[in-house]
Amino acid sequence: MLWHIVKRELFEQVNSLRFALAMLLIVFLMLVNAVGHIDEYKTRQAEYGQQVSAYSARLEGNSNNLYKLVLNGPGELHKKPSPLSFCAHGSENNLPKFASGGRAGWGIGSVSGIWRLKYSGFPSIKAKDIFPVFLKIDWILIISNVLSFLALVFTFDAISGEVEHGTLRLTLSNSIARRTVLTGKFLSCLMSLGAVFMSGVLVNLLLLYLSGTLQLNAQEWSRIGGVFVVGLIYIAVFIALGFLISTLANNASTSLVILLLIWVIWVILVPSMLGTIMSGLNQPSIRRGPSPVYFSRSGLRERYIARGLEDAAPTRKRPPTPATLLWAEFLNEEAREGARLHRAYLNAQVNQIQIAREVNRISPTAIAQYAVESLAGTGFQRHLNFLKNAERYAEEFNDFLISADRADPDSLHVPFVREGMSDKPVSFESIPKFQDRVRLGDAFKGAMLDVTLLLLFFTVLFAAAHVSFQRKEI
Amino acid sequence: MLWTLVRHELLMNLMTFRFLVTIIASMSLVLAGSIVLTDNYERRLASYNKDFQKHQEGNFSGKTYSSFMPELDRAPNPLSLFNQGLDKRAKNSLQIRIGKVPFLWGDVSRNTGFSNPFRYLLADIDLVSIFQILFSLLALVFAYDAIAGDRENGTLRLILVNRVGRGWIVLAKYLGAMLCLTLPLLMSFLLALLLQLQSNAIHYSADDFFRIGGIFLTTVIYTSTFYLIGLFISSVIHRTATSLIVSMFIWVVLTLLYPNVSLFLVNRFIDTEEKVKQADQAIDQILEQFYWTEKVPGNPFENPLLLKGSKSGVTSSSTTHLKKDITFIPHESEVHVPTVKAYFQELTAARIRTAGRIWQIRETAFAETYIRKSGIARNALRFSPAGLYHLSTEAWAGTDLARMQDFFKAGRQYRETILDYFYDKKAFSSRQWFASDKGAVRWDDAPRFSYQPPSVFEDASNRALRDLLLLFVLNPILLMITFAVFSRQEV
Repeated sequence: MLWHIVKRELFEQVNSLRFALAMLLIVFLMLVNAVGHIDEYKTRQAEYGQQVSAYSARLEGNSNNLYKLVLNGPGELHKKPSPLSFCAHGSENNLPKFASGGRAGWGIGSVSGIWRLKYSGFPSIKAKDIFPVFLKIDWILIISNVLSFLALVFTFDAISGEVEHGTLRLTLSNSIARRTVLTGKFLSCLMSLGAVFMSGVLVNLLLLYLSGTLQLNAQEWSRIGGVFVVGLIYIAVFIALGFLISTLANNASTSLVILLLIWVIWVILVPSMLGTIMSGLNQPSIRRGPSPVYFSRSGLRERYIARGLEDAAPTRKRPPTPATLLWAEFLNEEAREGARLHRAYLNAQVNQIQIAREVNRISPTAIAQYAVESLAGTGFQRHLNFLKNAERYAEEFNDFLISADRADPDSLHVPFVREGMSDKPVSFESIPKFQDRVRLGDAFKGAMLDVTLLLLFFTVLFAAAHVSFQRKEI
Repeated sequence: MLWTLVRHELLMNLMTFRFLVTIIASMSLVLAGSIVLTDNYERRLASYNKDFQKHQEGNFSGKTYSSFMPELDRAPNPLSLFNQGLDKRAKNSLQIRIGKVPFLWGDVSRNTGFSNPFRYLLADIDLVSIFQILFSLLALVFAYDAIAGDRENGTLRLILVNRVGRGWIVLAKYLGAMLCLTLPLLMSFLLALLLQLQSNAIHYSADDFFRIGGIFLTTVIYTSTFYLIGLFISSVIHRTATSLIVSMFIWVVLTLLYPNVSLFLVNRFIDTEEKVKQADQAIDQILEQFYWTEKVPGNPFENPLLLKGSKSGVTSSSTTHLKKDITFIPHESEVHVPTVKAYFQELTAARIRTAGRIWQIRETAFAETYIRKSGIARNALRFSPAGLYHLSTEAWAGTDLARMQDFFKAGRQYRETILDYFYDKKAFSSRQWFASDKGAVRWDDAPRFSYQPPSVFEDASNRALRDLLLLFVLNPILLMITFAVFSRQEV
């Protein structure tokens, strides 16, 4: 019986004007998306390749002396561009493309601070920024703005229209449960919109594939699959919303007017206003990044001076003198403290954005966007994962410095003071290289919460539609 | 007769649910938007004030002429609350250098009052974009059943039984609905103004009120355009539900999709990189020439060192001695001072020449690349009423590209004035160019920079009115077509 209703509804929908318009719109937008992204990934990949080779060259240049590596660090660690940026652009233009592991920027006498990880690298204003602002036509824009709109256009008269025409009474005069009618209508709507979405996606992927832009591995294909599923769930949320309002309203036009107002506020205005308001109220607690000279102002240096830091310089004498050991301790602690301050500053900044994102999750549009960004490997969550990768690498790099020093029999093995460490070249091959990558686990884990929230939205709205349909007098 | 009809329409509209929703939605969104925007503006103003103070003290504190390197700041525009345009995104400071013409080009770090650079991830919305989305939608919601609904109900036939011209009916419907839509719009504008004036940071001059008036007028005409589009659809399509669906599709395309798709494609396919690279190469060549071939012989600070035993204050260590402040010249080196003077005179002249040549290349390259591209984008936007609305309000608010360029033009003029002032003072050939040992430079009569933005009438006649006119012309055309369609229709 259910299948019968689905078939009938589907047939009706596919033959309607709105289905044709929807198909036209989605396929056109997906074409625009594909055309816009052909070669874009290649350019970015080439740019990334250049940056990585510059990084390797720098590392190789520094590898002729172990201590140079200690001072200069690994250099700029670049974020790998995502091949799925056509799914979600994720405001990558506003995010740093690298984290830098460089010099501390201070020195007392012959001793300089050792390297540490800094999280700067925000893009600057460029001449091309005079171009008017616009939304990038990516999958998530098409899903969140256009497909949700289409879902409402497909469903606004599903119940109220049939009530007006009297056909619903006719249907219900047969021995059909109301929930079967609702489920049948829901499934047919989902299937027809899914078909529209699917055709857009296929056209898009085909064009990208033929142009040679799309060379993905299994992991990336599964992420695209994930994006598709998130899109479907998101559409389902709006179909359920459409049914709910359609059962509540008395005539089709009223229900569409209400739906449109809800849509404008929920989809377009809330994600761009609410989070901004909340983040405005929560300014970061730390307003300035640590400057290279902070160590002279913080108590750290005084503490060590009290212990006689500046009385004697570190020496190469064997066994290590107390001064050498004290300097080594100071350098280590200063580097740790410096890294901690950089991290705290970053955390304060990230926190403000996290609050805004939490608030924005009132709107399913923001939820879907975060989920898709996470799966596509772009945007804020991905940036945080990249920074985590960089931090992991920073530890690995320090471990390497210590073990390379251990391997040198002439060294005093007192890291990280110059006199206590090896001055010999290290083999470039043995230095760990930074490799940024998106872990499938991270991508899905990042999307998990958002997908759950979307499902929750769907369940609540669908249940509400169900209840109000059950109670409706026809 | 017309008045009776208008009154009837007005009452019909005022009593509806959608009017209530219009009021609530527009007021609450404007309220929320104004709070965010005002807060943001206050931050930007505070940051500007800090910079301005710092630069005001620093600009005229140099002891020698060569250390005159002022920084000028562009104040944030309070009207960016209405349309932010480029106000937050374009460079908001410029540096005056003898050897460099200031320009809206080159990378600078962002300084817009956010202490958190991640903040750019969150969308920023201005009042005009709220109006752009909300009122176009509401206009269509008011219009979709204006004719189709009456026809379905049979009331249209009833009205036409009386001796009423069909033209009057269309006109009355239009006027009635526009009055209904203008009311919430006016209330929203007043609310926004009220909230903004609550803040101590925002002061509007008479000129600004004209500009706000211009934005209001543009918004009314924009709303009216969408209402007429809806009315036209309503007269062509006989069923209200279909008319609504078609209206909505047109709305999505005109306000959401067309502007973004056209800009996306223009941005992707108009390539500027090649020309920029060429210009950069040409500039590099000139600079190389300046540093290697044209370099004046006899650098007095390299071998042989002419001013032996002199002491310097703050200097820059570059080979071209951008900034020199010698505080003490021993007596025995005094004989060399004229040589050093001549050296600097020649060097500075060469530098000014080079700056002029680089500027010529830059100006043409800039016009051919970024300006041209942004011009194409703007022209593409003009095919949609939403684009016209955006461009016109941007010009009214004075946050568009022309204004940013105007600021830099003022900066270039200031540089010329400074150069003239230096020529008058014979600064380039003076001892005070590089040394302050015989007394520091007095800046009392040096020209100061102040930027006077063009008046509202200039902005309006140059740019705002042009787009407004284009938008306005759509109205009589649409009204005429609707009337033509409606008068031939069987009811």
